[in-house]
Amino acid sequence: MKLKHTMAEPAPLQMDQSTRTHGDVLLSAQDMVIEFNLRGRLLTAVRGASLELRAGETLAVVGESGSGKSVLAKSFLGMLDKNGRVRSGSALYRGLDLVGLKTEDDWLAIRGKKVAMIFQDPMTALNPLKTVGEQIREVASLHRGLGKSEARLLALDMLSRVGIPEPERRYSQYPHEFSGGMRQRVVIASAIACGPEILICDEPTTALDVTIQAQILELIKGLQRDLGMSVLFITHDLGVVAKMADRIAVMYAGQVVEEGLSSEVFYDARHPYTWTLLASLPQLGIKGDELFSIKGTPPSLFKTIKGDAFAPRNPFALKVDFEYEPPFFDVSPTHRAKTWLLDPRSPRIEVPETISRLRSRLTETRAEELAGKAADLAARTSRTKKGGGR
Amino acid sequence: MKTYILKRLGQSFLTVALVVMVVFLLLRLMPTSGYFERDDYINMDEAARTEYLRTLGVLDNPFVAFGKFVAGLSRGDLGRSISVYPRTQISEIIAQKAPYSLAFGLSAITISIVVGLWLGIAMANHKDKLIDGLGTGYIVIVRAIPSLIYLFLIQIWVSGLLGWPMIFYEDQPVSWILPVISIALSSVAWYAIWLRRFMVDEENKDYIKFAISKGMRRKYVMTRHVLRNAAVPIVQYLPAQILLTISGSLVVESIYSIPGLGGLLVYAIRQQDNPLVQVLVLLFSVLGVFGVFLGDVLMVLVDPRIKLAGTEKRKVQA
Ligand SMILES: Nc1ncnc2c1ncn2[C@@H]1O[C@H](COP(=O)(O)OP(=O)(O)OP(=O)(O)O)[C@@H](O)[C@H]1O
Ligand SMILES: [Mg+2]
Repeated sequence: MKLKHTMAEPAPLQMDQSTRTHGDVLLSAQDMVIEFNLRGRLLTAVRGASLELRAGETLAVVGESGSGKSVLAKSFLGMLDKNGRVRSGSALYRGLDLVGLKTEDDWLAIRGKKVAMIFQDPMTALNPLKTVGEQIREVASLHRGLGKSEARLLALDMLSRVGIPEPERRYSQYPHEFSGGMRQRVVIASAIACGPEILICDEPTTALDVTIQAQILELIKGLQRDLGMSVLFITHDLGVVAKMADRIAVMYAGQVVEEGLSSEVFYDARHPYTWTLLASLPQLGIKGDELFSIKGTPPSLFKTIKGDAFAPRNPFALKVDFEYEPPFFDVSPTHRAKTWLLDPRSPRIEVPETISRLRSRLTETRAEELAGKAADLAARTSRTKKGGGR
Repeated sequence: MKTYILKRLGQSFLTVALVVMVVFLLLRLMPTSGYFERDDYINMDEAARTEYLRTLGVLDNPFVAFGKFVAGLSRGDLGRSISVYPRTQISEIIAQKAPYSLAFGLSAITISIVVGLWLGIAMANHKDKLIDGLGTGYIVIVRAIPSLIYLFLIQIWVSGLLGWPMIFYEDQPVSWILPVISIALSSVAWYAIWLRRFMVDEENKDYIKFAISKGMRRKYVMTRHVLRNAAVPIVQYLPAQILLTISGSLVVESIYSIPGLGGLLVYAIRQQDNPLVQVLVLLFSVLGVFGVFLGDVLMVLVDPRIKLAGTEKRKVQA
């Protein structure tokens, strides 16, 4: 049996309006187009993606492998590979367009100080031949102009902040003497030692085992709360997203296709691609549901894509999807999706059973957690506003 | 650390002993006619030949002979050369020749480290630019063309161009320059190509990207992280390379008539000058093996990841 429902059905869980308009926009990326030159062929990895990151929030960027999440994030640090460039678009950080930064000196004002990034694999992110203490002290002196002994104290403080026991002893150890989880803590310590406003986490727990994963996620959450940072959290694990995110941006083939509060995306997703992502949540434990196991492969980024990039894999694709690229349609002031299905002229469609079932499940299990998160966010936001950043 | 050093010393000693023994025994398998000058051999009768061989010690039981050789060594007696420098003390030959090879070799190593590393850094920092292309061209030429050809060209053209002497004169310092450069040429290329590759590889590693993403200057990261890490493999090979300069450069020493040790071993083998061969093999293998040993010990000091049996610290848990 499939539940009928109209597109205008209200979200099952209404969040408090005040949590929707949290802190000021810190980073606003508009229509970013990023391309790579691969032996003379142009690959457009990001095709007009837009997103906004607000003070004090965690924005999760989700999407399958190759959708351009890392590339987009790296462009905020001027860390694209040498064969890549931002072709057009803007990325305003407190009024400064990062796309306009060209030289290393320009970027030095941003990297670490304002925006820091944590990489996926903690085993390779540290210099194997320097003590972890040195590697943290180095950034502390660089960014805070501290002398050796002060920087050392700060590094020790960072080590204990990220939950490393016996920081004094650990300070003079080498990365190979740490386990994966502990190393990721060191990586985080050295990133926050810069004192950034924005912390980009690019799949920071993918390389770790499950129990450690949870600890690291808790750590990032705690640090964000204490330091009032904004976090851009990249992952393909929706379970992680549910734990971490205030808002979610879903990427497909180099574009953001749906964006909304965490609750809105989980309970009231409007883009068929988001549905396929949600349906793959292992937590749902639904077997034999063929409809939403995603079929086909993402489009080649070497060619110009006509119409909606997801159309060929979309069981709900309309004729118009193959001809014209859809614009964004607002679902709520904080929720929008880039699909023709939201156009008033489109036929009503049946939301797949999996998704409606998902809604009821999530409502049961998540309502409490999300309410807690809303309160949490409200508290955080008021703090960042008061503190005026850091 | 102490047990490790002792163990490695023991291993080194065994290796040297084995090499010397094998060479010693192999020498006894050479045809005895090789011990004579051609005319002598024709003029002597069988009895005289045997008598001559006996005085050389060639007819002794090889194990007894080896014992004698070792006993001599322990008294500090290296023996006398037979045919290359008839009846000269071998220790004297080495003392006279080694300083030349050492002086040229060490100067060449210094140049190749300084120039080679500089070139490697420049090439890595300007990858695919002019200097990288020029450097690559130089490396390809040096490594692809037989050294004899370009060494001869340098000797003839450059000395002519600058009006420098064509061969080595001890009392004319300008005549020292071309041989040093000639010895250094190929190791400059070696260091440059190695360091360039090392730096380019490292640059794509996560820890470098992470360092740069934290706002460190590329230049700072390159010197403080990458170059520092490059020291590890260099430190490992340097001692052996330095110690073995004593063996001299065969080609360069012969074309510039430098009275060093280069080529002496080959010549001694051809002349079947057994005592000289034995001592040279012993000397070179001791230096080589000891160099490798030193390199390994230094490596332990500069690379914290290498744990030694015996110093293994308690493994740290998560
Ligand atoms: N240096 C590069 N040269 C060419 N193509 C690149 C380069 N870097 C990334 N790409 C391409 O850009 C696209 C997006 O890559 P990106 O790493 O952003 O994906 P992602 O969403 O982070 O995926 P994952 O989840 O696997 O990390 C991919 O098709 C990738 O092949
Ligand atoms: Mg990625």
